[in-house]
Amino acid sequence: MASIEYLILFLVGASFIGYFLTKLNTTVGSIFTIFATMFVFASLSMYGFNMNLETAVNILPGFSFTQTYLGFYFVIIIAFIYLMVSFFHPYYVGTYKYKDSYNMLFLLSLAGILGAFFTDNFLQLFFFFELIIWTTMFLIPQGKSKEAAISYFGFSVAGSVALLTGIFMIFSQTGTFVIADGLQGLSGSTSIVVFALFLIAAFAKLGAFPMHIWLPIAHGNAPHPFSPVLSGALVKLGAFIGILALVNIAPSTGMFTAINLPIGQYIVGILGSLSIIFGTLMAIKEDDAKKLLAYSSMSHGGYILVAFSLLDSIGFAGGFYHILAHAVASAAAFMAIAAVARATGTTKMKELGGIIHKMPITYIAYLVAIISMAGIPPMGGFISKWLIFQSVIDKGLIFIGIAVFFGSIGSFLYVFRPLATLFLGQEFTEYKKIKEQPIIMLIPTVILILMNIYTGIFPAAILKFINNIIAELGYSTLTITTFEITGHNGVLNPAVISLVFGVGVVVAFIIFILLKKSRKVDLMDTYTAANFVHDEHLLHYSTDFYAPLERLYEKQSHWMTTFYEALKQKVKDIGRLGKYLFMSRNIATAIVWMIVVVIFLLIGVIL
Amino acid sequence: MDDSRRHLLIDWGDTMIVNILIGLGIALFGFVFQTGLGGINRKIVGRLQKRHGPRWYQEYLDIFKLLSKRSVSHGWIFDFGVIMALGGIIGTAMFMPITSNILAFQNYDNFFIFVYLLAVGMLGMAMSASGSGNPWASIGVMRALTTMLAYEVPFMIVVLTIINISDTSSLTGIQLFQQAAGNNWFLIALPLGGIVGFISLMGMLGKKPFETYIAPAEIASGPMVEYGGKQLGMLFILHEISVFIEVSLFVHLFLGGATNIFEFIIKYAVVYTVANLISNVNGRFKIDQVVKFFYKWPLLMAVAQAIVAIYFGLVI
Amino acid sequence: MKSTKFTPKSNLSKKEIDRKWWEIGDYFRRNSLWLLMYCTGCCAIELPPAMTSAYDMERLGMGPMATPRQADILLVSGYLSLKTLRRLIYTYEQMSEPKYVVALGSCPINGGIYHDSHAVINQLDQYIPVDVYVAGCMPNTEAVMNGFVDLIEQIKHKKANGWKKYHENNEWYKKNQLDSLGEVVVKDEFHQ
Repeated sequence: MASIEYLILFLVGASFIGYFLTKLNTTVGSIFTIFATMFVFASLSMYGFNMNLETAVNILPGFSFTQTYLGFYFVIIIAFIYLMVSFFHPYYVGTYKYKDSYNMLFLLSLAGILGAFFTDNFLQLFFFFELIIWTTMFLIPQGKSKEAAISYFGFSVAGSVALLTGIFMIFSQTGTFVIADGLQGLSGSTSIVVFALFLIAAFAKLGAFPMHIWLPIAHGNAPHPFSPVLSGALVKLGAFIGILALVNIAPSTGMFTAINLPIGQYIVGILGSLSIIFGTLMAIKEDDAKKLLAYSSMSHGGYILVAFSLLDSIGFAGGFYHILAHAVASAAAFMAIAAVARATGTTKMKELGGIIHKMPITYIAYLVAIISMAGIPPMGGFISKWLIFQSVIDKGLIFIGIAVFFGSIGSFLYVFRPLATLFLGQEFTEYKKIKEQPIIMLIPTVILILMNIYTGIFPAAILKFINNIIAELGYSTLTITTFEITGHNGVLNPAVISLVFGVGVVVAFIIFILLKKSRKVDLMDTYTAANFVHDEHLLHYSTDFYAPLERLYEKQSHWMTTFYEALKQKVKDIGRLGKYLFMSRNIATAIVWMIVVVIFLLIGVIL
Repeated sequence: MDDSRRHLLIDWGDTMIVNILIGLGIALFGFVFQTGLGGINRKIVGRLQKRHGPRWYQEYLDIFKLLSKRSVSHGWIFDFGVIMALGGIIGTAMFMPITSNILAFQNYDNFFIFVYLLAVGMLGMAMSASGSGNPWASIGVMRALTTMLAYEVPFMIVVLTIINISDTSSLTGIQLFQQAAGNNWFLIALPLGGIVGFISLMGMLGKKPFETYIAPAEIASGPMVEYGGKQLGMLFILHEISVFIEVSLFVHLFLGGATNIFEFIIKYAVVYTVANLISNVNGRFKIDQVVKFFYKWPLLMAVAQAIVAIYFGLVI
Repeated sequence: MKSTKFTPKSNLSKKEIDRKWWEIGDYFRRNSLWLLMYCTGCCAIELPPAMTSAYDMERLGMGPMATPRQADILLVSGYLSLKTLRRLIYTYEQMSEPKYVVALGSCPINGGIYHDSHAVINQLDQYIPVDVYVAGCMPNTEAVMNGFVDLIEQIKHKKANGWKKYHENNEWYKKNQLDSLGEVVVKDEFHQ
């Protein structure tokens, strides 16, 4: 029996040991981190699936834990991503400025995750939420820029404040901090406000429109091995808060009869759709591979919001499955890019080309990941998108439908760009000497490839677990057999799809192999309208890949950034005014303030 | 494993093998039929331009000639992409019902499989083209993907309407729904949607004015620039089968499917020929014009149709 | 006769089987010839009538193609300056085998009206093998079509072997090319 309390304490302890070990030697510290994460993941997966974790609290005063299928689903995914990423540490941590603290903060944030998802109390939820934010805030600036951490922190604080306010409002109405009771007891206008506040927290954490500005900045500039954690794991905290609000609180009794959906949920669905569209359009424009993937996370966050706003068990199943599929896929993609960045020192797509010839396994990891992200069989993303489509179509949500279809095709565009410009294309001379990832980094890469394929071919086991969550949330479960998933208007058999795809490939391969062998030529021996080109950079099409499409929304693409710049300016102005008024060095100002205060006091006395 | 389960598994395996063979037969039928029809259409276009036109079996000659030539290869991804592309397309075609009772995998002819499994083929081709290291290929792929972004959204909205009305996403189910309602084709029941579907079909088939991504005189045939010999031959096969899938989708979704194979052949031939004829009196759009075009009238019509049909329940 | 395991093995050697396959391939190849037009000279003006309704080369299964990789015939229409010759050779070497060369006009045969120019080569088949010459300055469209039919006949009788000759006598061709074009010292698109 593994106790949640002991696991958290173990991680806290391990983080301090990790600190000293890393101080001694970064490699030793990082390997220790791998084993610590592995231990936590192993004990969670050993006992958690059957809800056999020990929840009793012996040492920590005032804490209480509970285990739900919902919380465990998140924890196991996030712990898995943490474990995968920790394999990258030995090769990266040594290069950072404050390398001693890296492993410590990493393990502490995992402790926060365990606490946040297993707690049954709002105040503890907030405490662990803050623990995660603070630890990760110090991890992000180890990468390229400190600005990134500030932007991340700013939006996270907005989320936390909203969350805390919501918690207090629940307390003032129901008098309890217990999550289940508190959400149940809500009513009237308070529930509307709490719904909105919780969703602000969810949007801020999920990086959904309109609170998405931090996402590309933080993901793009975070240390390479930390970006997969941010995108695959931490963003999902927002989804958790969102589920709490969307499923449990029905702020308005007003229903759209045509679509059978409460107004509050419909608005969230529309905002999720906007996230999908914005994320897609911005990702298509982006030149930095990591920022591109960050925008893709935003668009996938939109899918998750849409799925949970549908209030329908197929939609929920799609949302939960999407959380897993996206976590695995985006971790694989970010880790592939991290490996490339390690070998070449850049993530800018216009500076890279032809990496596939030296790093084929990394390429395959990225390929599998993007197939899943674009929602193409035989990978996990297809199943989740199929479930979400089923629900959207069944409810007849046309405008949300436009967004989900647009995002689904659009994701094909943006994920293909790194594939074409970074991995494929001409091989640059400067990258002719790079090597494939070392064997320890290949372990998580291969595991993630297999995970992506597994989620796409045999979803039944995972969906059965998701059924438990759906039952826990009070909805009817899905019909799932060993191979088939039944949706609202159709049956899906992913195993048969994969089998048939495999048969097709075998037939194509037989045709290919029977025919005359091709003559191998160099990449530079290519059709150039008979011109002699000797510089491979000239034959590599990568800058402004989707230029004709980008031109169509070039002017509109800065609206949100401008808005937040203006907001920032206003906040700064107010701050400056305050500073001028209250912290002036001028004696006269101080005296004026004293007089004002005295007058106020006098008025108070007189009244 | 106990005995009964083993028997069940063996039975399942047997039916699966039979199903796969039927599926391969459908893919082969699609290839042979569409290639022949493509040749006939080339002749029709020839007559339209006051030429004699090629032999009707010219398309076969072209494909087998390409397969017999010795080509060049730009590395493993160049070859692997082609195999993956053709494999994906053959796999997609194997799910396609020809009539409402000729299909390989009962219940699994889900509409989304066609759209997304087709995308595997496209991804393979795009990968292989980019792997050739030719900038024209990458530009062609970029244009193809952009065109896809343009035509797919209006089309999917129309399909959303159709699935919402008929309450099934299985192509056979949609066919039967139309046949049961006294051959009330969705082309007639949803007139605006039908028009959008046809325009999107033109985009899918890469017919003029939407053939921006091939544009032989402009970007040297785009994605296909580096292919010759067997790789190009396989891409031609891929193209024929994907045309078969796309036109069949239109027949099943909008024209009430078919009850027997002759009906299917006739409907299919009419749709393909009409698309081809329209294509031949058009010029070519620029790529941003394609996007603007599809997001203007077709999308508007699709949404209007969806609102009228779903929220007001008005279906002719 | 039914074939059993007692039936004597087929007498066809591997070479003969290859020859049979080659003949089948030749049938497809001669009925589907795709052109890459290298239009450097005035003879190119004869091609539009050959392609469109006047003569309609699609009857023979011929048609224009975009890149050398896809094409079967390299159609040289007109004179070749040294600068274009280098590009012609580059293009020829990029084509997929089997490949054929058709030269239009008198310029590729003997230099035509440019026979005494310092910058124009006189005989194309010194540099790459030519399968069919269509003489005339310029040849009329019937002659062009006739040239194509000639090529088809040659393929049928296995006489269109220019691409094989290029392999066999590669050194000779390379030497001629080098003699005329000179050594490339600076390798960029301006000096070549």
